[in-house]
Amino acid sequence: MLAIDVSDLRKQFKVQKNREGLKGALKDLFKREHTEVAAVKDISFQIPQGEICGYIGENGAGKSTTIKMLTGILVPTSGKILVNGYVPYKEREEFVRGIGVVFGQRSQLWWDIGVIESFRLLRKVYRVSEADFRARLDELVETLQLQELLNRPVRKLSLGQRMRCELVAALLHQPSILFLDEPTIGLDIVVKTEIREFLKKLNREHGTTILLTTHDLQDIEALCSRVIMLDDGRIIYDGGLDELKDRWGKGREVQFQFNDPVAIADLSRLTEGLEVRWSKENELTAKVWIPRELNVSEVLSRVVGTKDISDIKIFETNTDEIVREIYQSGSAAAPVGSVSP
Amino acid sequence: MSASKWAYNLSLFREYLGNYIKTRLTYRADFWVEVLSDLLFSAMNLVFIFVVFGHTPSLAGWSEAEVVFVYGYFMIPFGVFGTFFNLWNFSERYIVKGEMDRVLTRPAHSLVQIMLENVDPASLIGSLVGLAIMGSAWATLGLPFDWYDPLALLAMVIGSVLIYAGLYTALAAISFYSDAPTGIVPLMFNIQNYGRYPIQIYNKGIRFLLTWVLPFAFVGVYPASFFLDRHGDLEMSLLTPAVGVVVFAFGLFVWNRGVKRYRGAGS
Repeated sequence: MLAIDVSDLRKQFKVQKNREGLKGALKDLFKREHTEVAAVKDISFQIPQGEICGYIGENGAGKSTTIKMLTGILVPTSGKILVNGYVPYKEREEFVRGIGVVFGQRSQLWWDIGVIESFRLLRKVYRVSEADFRARLDELVETLQLQELLNRPVRKLSLGQRMRCELVAALLHQPSILFLDEPTIGLDIVVKTEIREFLKKLNREHGTTILLTTHDLQDIEALCSRVIMLDDGRIIYDGGLDELKDRWGKGREVQFQFNDPVAIADLSRLTEGLEVRWSKENELTAKVWIPRELNVSEVLSRVVGTKDISDIKIFETNTDEIVREIYQSGSAAAPVGSVSP
Repeated sequence: MSASKWAYNLSLFREYLGNYIKTRLTYRADFWVEVLSDLLFSAMNLVFIFVVFGHTPSLAGWSEAEVVFVYGYFMIPFGVFGTFFNLWNFSERYIVKGEMDRVLTRPAHSLVQIMLENVDPASLIGSLVGLAIMGSAWATLGLPFDWYDPLALLAMVIGSVLIYAGLYTALAAISFYSDAPTGIVPLMFNIQNYGRYPIQIYNKGIRFLLTWVLPFAFVGVYPASFFLDRHGDLEMSLLTPAVGVVVFAFGLFVWNRGVKRYRGAGS
């Protein structure tokens, strides 16, 4: 069964045009001019139950707008959405019982009261039975190690502590779909890792479908089997992360640190017949670019055998670079000069 | 709304109230400052009435005690309204800062949630004071006390609260339609002040406005006249609950439509 089914989804916003100068302002007073701006332009995708899907894109690409339509906050301009079998904005109160939402930049918790009080309030709001609540809370508190935090007011928590509490708040009612909007924003690496591990566990043990937006591609690498990439309101890539890397990751780079000064010409001669490119960093350091289909060890063996080497580093093209490049070209369809599989 | 929905909302109210009390215990001074400023505000209005009647024995046929009686009545629904419809910062907090997002991801009616999140029982003290003022004016005027008076008072107060609630809900909902908060709130605030004095002292236009357009007269003089035999206007006073239901239904309608137009803030 599909957890999320979206087709031709579109959201337009009316934006007021402010005319220039005093004269313009006076004109605006009587007759406002509006322009329609489409934030999401007829996108379609399906997410099956139990999948972790990353939803990425630059600021203003339409990620948040999509999430808000999927969670019933915004009413779409046109198109079809079905989440958990509901049209989110239509039967909102019934629908939201089955989803959990975490907005990284906004708190779900009450600022002045103890964390546990917020949880109790949410138990009432979601009509969770006391027994279920207890069991669920114990499980979550244990996995996220919140024991000491429960009685502290939210305003006295660090961001990392708060974020873990937000996750608990969003999961108390056992939602089958979890929406995360920038869940790791501003967190340190330790907390990030903890949260990623927790999400993986949640997905494994409860089969929770997770849709997350993020700017941190490491979140994607750690969690997602699938990525949807958005640019200017349109989906420019929808598929596996590995596939994306295969298609876009053009190769690897190996950096050699030599003991004696070397010349590029010299190195090129060594790798004659191989489609590699050398570049010199300084007297003792040189880099070689190796295309994907070529074996790194072949290049290494030719160099290592003849030169005196003190250090070798291998760089894989990382997702960050791939994504940056896709955005620059504006489409994931036909990478220029790449070696497609 | 079905019975189970009422029970659900009521249980939520209990829970939110509990949290309110806990929060307030942390900021105790705040609570008393608020109570005090509410009471000072009412005292000023009363002083105003006394000053006016220091210059004239009656206003359009209304004596001082009668005007005080109307004012005392007004304080009761106003206090209840202030407790539950503390929507003054709605636009800034929920629309501009986007807290509406969070509200809309929870399974309770959005207006109920916002009412509960801002519940302010300190205002209820104003209602109690109003009841006392009304009681003392009752005694001064030597009005008869019938068995049905408390029930009538309850029905009137509910009607009056619904009128305020409906108008201010509609007013708050304007933020869904317009980007910039408008100057309507201060305007409403001024008009509502007219409702607490005998309507007979105004000209026809204002009377019409206060009765049929922004029916603030139903939060003061009309329902209060039910108990004031000398100014008895039975028809108008009995209309109070009905007007309340109509106005509140209107407010709710504007609100529900507005929520569909909510556009969120930032990212």
